[in-house]
Amino acid sequence: MTVTQVSAGWVPLAAALLLTVATAAAALDGVLAARSAGRPLSGGLLTPAAETARLFRQRRRTTIAADLPLQRIGGAGLLTAALLMVVVVPFGRWTVADMAVGVVWFNALDVLLWAALWLAGWGPNSVHPLVAGHRFLAQALSYELPLMFALTTPAVAAGSLRLGDLVAAQAGLWFMVWMPVAFVVFCAGVVAFSAWGPFSAALGSGAAGGVLAESAGVDRWLVTAGRYALLTAGSAFGVTAFLGGGHGPLLPAWLWVLVKTSLLLAVLVALRRRLPVVRPERLAVPAWLVVLPLVLLQLLVVSVVVVARG
Amino acid sequence: MGLITRLAARRTAVLVAEVPGWGYTRCTLEQRVRSRGWRLADSPADADLLVVCGEPGPRFAAAVELVWAQLPGPRSRVQALDPADVAAALDAAAGQLADEATQRQDAQDRPAGPAQGVPATDTSVGTDDAPGDGGADADARPPAWDDPHPGAVHEGEQGHHDTDPTQEHGDMDHGDMDHGDMDHGDMDHGDMDHGDMDHGDMDHGDMDHGDMDMPMPGGIPLAGGGGADQLPDPDQLDLDVLHVPLGPVLPHWPAGLLLHTTLQGELVVAARAEVLEAARTPPAGGSLHGTTAGRWDAAATLLAVAGWSDAATAAVRLRDAALTGPVPEREAQRLARRVRRSRLLRWSLRGVGVLPEGDAADRLGHWLSGSAHGAPITLTELADLVTGLDLATVRLVVASLDLDTSVREPVEVGAA
Repeated sequence: MTVTQVSAGWVPLAAALLLTVATAAAALDGVLAARSAGRPLSGGLLTPAAETARLFRQRRRTTIAADLPLQRIGGAGLLTAALLMVVVVPFGRWTVADMAVGVVWFNALDVLLWAALWLAGWGPNSVHPLVAGHRFLAQALSYELPLMFALTTPAVAAGSLRLGDLVAAQAGLWFMVWMPVAFVVFCAGVVAFSAWGPFSAALGSGAAGGVLAESAGVDRWLVTAGRYALLTAGSAFGVTAFLGGGHGPLLPAWLWVLVKTSLLLAVLVALRRRLPVVRPERLAVPAWLVVLPLVLLQLLVVSVVVVARG
Repeated sequence: MGLITRLAARRTAVLVAEVPGWGYTRCTLEQRVRSRGWRLADSPADADLLVVCGEPGPRFAAAVELVWAQLPGPRSRVQALDPADVAAALDAAAGQLADEATQRQDAQDRPAGPAQGVPATDTSVGTDDAPGDGGADADARPPAWDDPHPGAVHEGEQGHHDTDPTQEHGDMDHGDMDHGDMDHGDMDHGDMDHGDMDHGDMDHGDMDHGDMDMPMPGGIPLAGGGGADQLPDPDQLDLDVLHVPLGPVLPHWPAGLLLHTTLQGELVVAARAEVLEAARTPPAGGSLHGTTAGRWDAAATLLAVAGWSDAATAAVRLRDAALTGPVPEREAQRLARRVRRSRLLRWSLRGVGVLPEGDAADRLGHWLSGSAHGAPITLTELADLVTGLDLATVRLVVASLDLDTSVREPVEVGAA
């Protein structure tokens, strides 16, 4: 399957598609929340619309001596990074940007989130957001290196950093099958850089909302929507790098991408119901002493296989 | 009513200010909020609606005013004095939130800019605080960590402050006010819960040393070392010293508890706890603590602070069932099993808030199984327990103690 780069005119459509899937993820979270609260599920389905209406109707809010430019750059950074991530992900036969360094591009953007969340916490000049921003950095120190090596693994197997080549290399066998550790670590990385579920210490109720403790209105919406968009972009990338992208019987390639992305995204969204928050300060030890060696071992195994195959 | 307003009303976020002694009212409120499909807010910025459960005393009321000023708006505020009041109060609030003319008027009448602070009607705050008063007060009061009887603050300090209404705010705003920097009107509007208390630094650096060359954005000097307040830091970092009050209006927090903390970085290097009291004796009916409902309430609070909202919701539903009748045994066992099986949770709570009879994980286990245990803990002991911990751990420790702030100390820990 060859991937063609479409003209820039399609960019708004790609963005709309990302936001649509992200909205579906938010609706799923609403439904799961309604179920656990014993409420009608239909009400939960409307959660993204209701929350958007609420926040668009709400006044923005500033604090004393806030660093507004940085706060807003940080707050908008999540959604921006998610939109930029998907430009390299092939949607079936088409891609917005057929970059030769697509994997590195994705990695660079997820590193950008360190700054985004920290700035969003720094900006309000308030203790809870500031501490939460730093806690996100502490968490990032734990997840970033394993995530990087997890990203390297499929690139080594395909012998290319171009996402189209990654998909082509999975024509016979999905990468997930013979690099499961890298896949799991990658998914954990996506959840972590989206500050979601077990890795949401930076935005938790235990910290009065953390980074968002002082944000209202559209500022809050941007961060909330940005998290769902990041989960979506991460799932789309994961499908491309590990789950065979558009490969699959019967259905057209673009539909396979959509179906697989939705399934992976649903799993990541539901994870929040199952697990408590992992405290960043306790995460460092297992991340560096267990996860990092495991993913390096995975990389070694894949590299040996690639060399042996010649 | 427009579509936006109607949609927005479905997700109204409610911030609860629970006065010690009105636990039943708060539980009923939470139940109603859930059954309407609304949700509880994490912070004032997150809230549309502020509900005061009970009759706050003067200092608590002042804190509520500050919190009220921080709701972004459209906003509404109601009071519920009895579980039976709750439904009507929420109906009234829903009406206010949907009333666009009133909301527009409210938005226009509020001061623009960050120091939304205190409504004009509240004259006890701000410019009335004569510099002399603040300074004298500061000198008269020993620093928190020298206080020989922090627990006694409970009664003593309350009286002291009641003698002068303007001083109540000196205590709320802690750092800045105590040191008599009264020139900066904004300062009073500091965020009680969220530590715009950075201004606490006011006292240390520039003002005292007459170094006025430093830029002072928003009337706040740039952060600096803590001077006299600075304590040795475990990481050998010369971090800013901030005075941050936690509570009394803070979700998943004991009613009326005000924990004055001195932070270096995110570490609490000194703490003093007190309880802001009600204006009158709470209604009869006793305390929630020590009952089956209280047990599940405590478990729900700890689970929520530990970031497991799903399990917390399940515990809250069991609590609500316990308030009206028997707890469904099957659900209770299922939740207990689910929580006990979570290695992640145990790993998070292990070693947190260690008391002679166990840590946070043990106490959660007791609440889930309903086994009796209990040891008194005073506010002084609480302050000692949280000193040296980071903010997030402090939240876990406090949630794991299930303090009953409606009774005088010693406060019982856990289910009796």
